[in-house]
Amino acid sequence: MTHDLNIPGSQSTPAIQADWQAGSLCMQGDSYPENSYELFNQVIGWTERFLADATHPLTLQLELVYLNTSSVKAMMDIFDLLEEAHLDGREVRVIWRFDDRNERIGELAEEFREDCTFDFAITPMRVSV
Amino acid sequence: MDLLTLRESYQRQRIMLCFNGPISRSLIEEIGNALRNYLNGQPTPPSSAMDVFAVYIEMTQNIRHYARTRQYSEEQATATIAVARDDADHYLISAGNLVEIEDGQRLVEVVNSLAVLDASELKKAYKQQLRRPRDEAATSGAGLGLLDMARKSSRPLVPALQPLPSGQGFFSLTATI
Repeated sequence: MTHDLNIPGSQSTPAIQADWQAGSLCMQGDSYPENSYELFNQVIGWTERFLADATHPLTLQLELVYLNTSSVKAMMDIFDLLEEAHLDGREVRVIWRFDDRNERIGELAEEFREDCTFDFAITPMRVSV
Repeated sequence: MDLLTLRESYQRQRIMLCFNGPISRSLIEEIGNALRNYLNGQPTPPSSAMDVFAVYIEMTQNIRHYARTRQYSEEQATATIAVARDDADHYLISAGNLVEIEDGQRLVEVVNSLAVLDASELKKAYKQQLRRPRDEAATSGAGLGLLDMARKSSRPLVPALQPLPSGQGFFSLTATI
């Protein structure tokens, strides 16, 4: 039984990798499927299992670009799981990297961070075109 | 078909992209892609281009969601979408669809109630809607998408509802970026 996820991205869905051993969950790209939970339920499930069964730290590495409101809601559910675990004393953190030419992504990440008390880094970077 | 009249009407209204017909999930993506490519070729800041795209996605997905909820046939589930520039070079994004007249009236009221909110009130309402349980939010319909568009639009969203001979209505919404 494998504990890992490796979901390729598409035009409207992000690429997702979850590595149980490394304690890392990574997502890159745009996310605007009509029903985001068709995609994110498995990510939410993985995060719940990890936080319940593993004891080592979890790092969320995000390079998400555009999120529709349905995806924002699903992402908030994931951040809520992390927040709950953090308040229980678990080591969790988020690193969100974004192209510094598009401040909307930084603003989106900032709105998520407002509701979190764990380590949440928002890192502008220059993406080469 | 009088394509010249159509073309002249588009040019007069500075419409750069227009679609009318049954809108599928993949069509939303394809038109969205065309819109993004167009915006990338313009001297438009990436953040504005993303706002235009975001409003387009929320509008079209709301229309599909509504047509599904009402179990409309493919013919009834058509959308009319246009992206234009105004005289001050703002982008105008409009989308319209067939609705039950009472749903349309309710939508007009919701949109007008958002027009009086300032940026911080809209943000508060958005975060409250985000925190509502999924089932409750699903039945309330379109709330989060409308709030998201209202936050991105530099002017209040403009709703319109025109009664149709069938007893239904044509609801449309315009956002300004």
